[in-house]
Amino acid sequence: MTITVALPSKGRMKADTLEAFKKAGMSVETVGNDRSYHGRVLENDDIEIAFMSASEIAKELTKGSIDFGVTGEDLVRETIANVDSHVDFHARLGYGHADVIVAVPEFWHDVTTMSDLADVAMGFRARHGRQLSIATKYWQLTQQFFSSRHGIQLYRIVESLGATEGAPAAGTADIIVDITTTGSTLRANHLRILSDGLILRSEACLVGAKGSAHYGSPLYNQISTAFK
Amino acid sequence: MVSNDMKSILDRVEEDLLSCSVTMMDCDIIQPAEPFLKMAGEDLRRRIFLTHNVAGEALCLRPEFTIPVCMAHISAGERAPQSYGYLGQVFRQRDVGMTEFYQAGIEDLGDQDIALADARAISNAAMMVGNSSHADAIDIVIGDQAVFADVLSALGLPDGWQDRLIHAFGDEQALATMLETLSTSEELSYADDAVKSLVEAEDHEGLSNHLADVMAETGYSTKASRSPDDIARRILEKQRLSNTKLDENDLEKLKEFLAIKVPLSEAINALNMFADKSEIDLSQSLKTFASRISALEQMGFDMSSAVYETAFGRPLDYYTGLVFEIKNSQGAQVLAAGGRYDRLMALLGAQASIPAVGFSLWLDRFEVNS
Repeated sequence: MTITVALPSKGRMKADTLEAFKKAGMSVETVGNDRSYHGRVLENDDIEIAFMSASEIAKELTKGSIDFGVTGEDLVRETIANVDSHVDFHARLGYGHADVIVAVPEFWHDVTTMSDLADVAMGFRARHGRQLSIATKYWQLTQQFFSSRHGIQLYRIVESLGATEGAPAAGTADIIVDITTTGSTLRANHLRILSDGLILRSEACLVGAKGSAHYGSPLYNQISTAFK
Repeated sequence: MVSNDMKSILDRVEEDLLSCSVTMMDCDIIQPAEPFLKMAGEDLRRRIFLTHNVAGEALCLRPEFTIPVCMAHISAGERAPQSYGYLGQVFRQRDVGMTEFYQAGIEDLGDQDIALADARAISNAAMMVGNSSHADAIDIVIGDQAVFADVLSALGLPDGWQDRLIHAFGDEQALATMLETLSTSEELSYADDAVKSLVEAEDHEGLSNHLADVMAETGYSTKASRSPDDIARRILEKQRLSNTKLDENDLEKLKEFLAIKVPLSEAINALNMFADKSEIDLSQSLKTFASRISALEQMGFDMSSAVYETAFGRPLDYYTGLVFEIKNSQGAQVLAAGGRYDRLMALLGAQASIPAVGFSLWLDRFEVNS
């Protein structure tokens, strides 16, 4: 029986994850050369490591083709519908922090809260002949936050796959939903976070697939509690 | 596969539609998605079946008939009042029930006699539910946003508040939160000192010019999104509203109004009593309400199953007056839903103002085992 754990394949996220795993008693080693997408854990031959892109990890968790994954909570909640019925968040790993937030141009002095935004969205169609538009790559999180949580229906999402924070100045969207760590990119683009505009405080998490064939087995439980 | 039960329901519904002397409309199953998303908002995206053609345009399986029927009416340049009927499958992603199911309904477009057209919609919907559904007993709930709007205006609330409250109408929680917010005053602060002093001076033009300068400096277009003038207007409006709070008396009156739930036959009486007690004049808005009720009586509508709920509405910006729902008394499933949506026609591009009222029947819930 082998349990597959998917880890981020590059960058800071990869380095931090390997470090965290080592501290938890799992020394990860790549199989073959350094660029290999396959790895193992020195202390336990029954754990197989697969290196994947962070967004791919979220997708594979739903399919149950991997047992565990380490990736950002934001990507998991964005990618997986009905997230709580598909995965468990076993541990928050303390790195990869990013806040998913709602930000508006800083000179919108009249818009400081979501209810201000609701009010602006309401009159928008009459004034501008179109709906308030939001640039984001977080479709699901935006819809849940705006529609379900704040009852705002009248807006459109403009998909943005990069440089989201530049969309309002470029005139391609009115406001944004994006991630931020220090807020400096937002400030550079003259954007301000709404006072109740925090959608999710995300960080890297150890996530387990409920659909795993090994769900509840001794090794599964050992990994899921290794970071506690 | 269509069950025998559904077949006979469909036959009977079609017969009833024709008896209402409607023009039957046929709409394509594959529709451009844009008008639906534009009207109902982004949330609809999760509830429809969406695809794209090679040119990248979003298409969807027909999620309902109202928008295609209204668009056909507008593009035909129809001037005379028209009553359209439809019957066919619609497609939606839903948690409960099938994803493809039948709907039928009537869209009554252009009739200037608001009360009469409203009454006809309620009465036809009830007739068709009565003839075709297997419900033993039904409950009809009727609401009217126009009455709420008149109460707000009669209480003399500032325009900004009226807009906010009307926007929240139909969403109980949003309305409660809004009333709560309006009954507390708040201290506003401004990060920009220049803005602060212009707000204090209530200098709309100065504020607008200042914002235009800021936008130019920071590389924002003044035309792409909210204009400096628009932002300035709302900053000043918000400041004015923050300085005053909803009078406790008015708050009580509003709460009292929103709690009214009476048999439809007693609605006028209840509203008159409320108006007298609150010392406000609702006579104008009650006129339409009263003529709607007398039109219903003349149509032989059975009033006994209908209630009027002052807080019943739909939080979509194109509903303007009447809304109603017909439910199965057992199980409380919605069998028919309708209302007046005068503003939709303009949003869909109609040049003239076209009054519009209609309803849809959820035929999958008409079956015995639904």
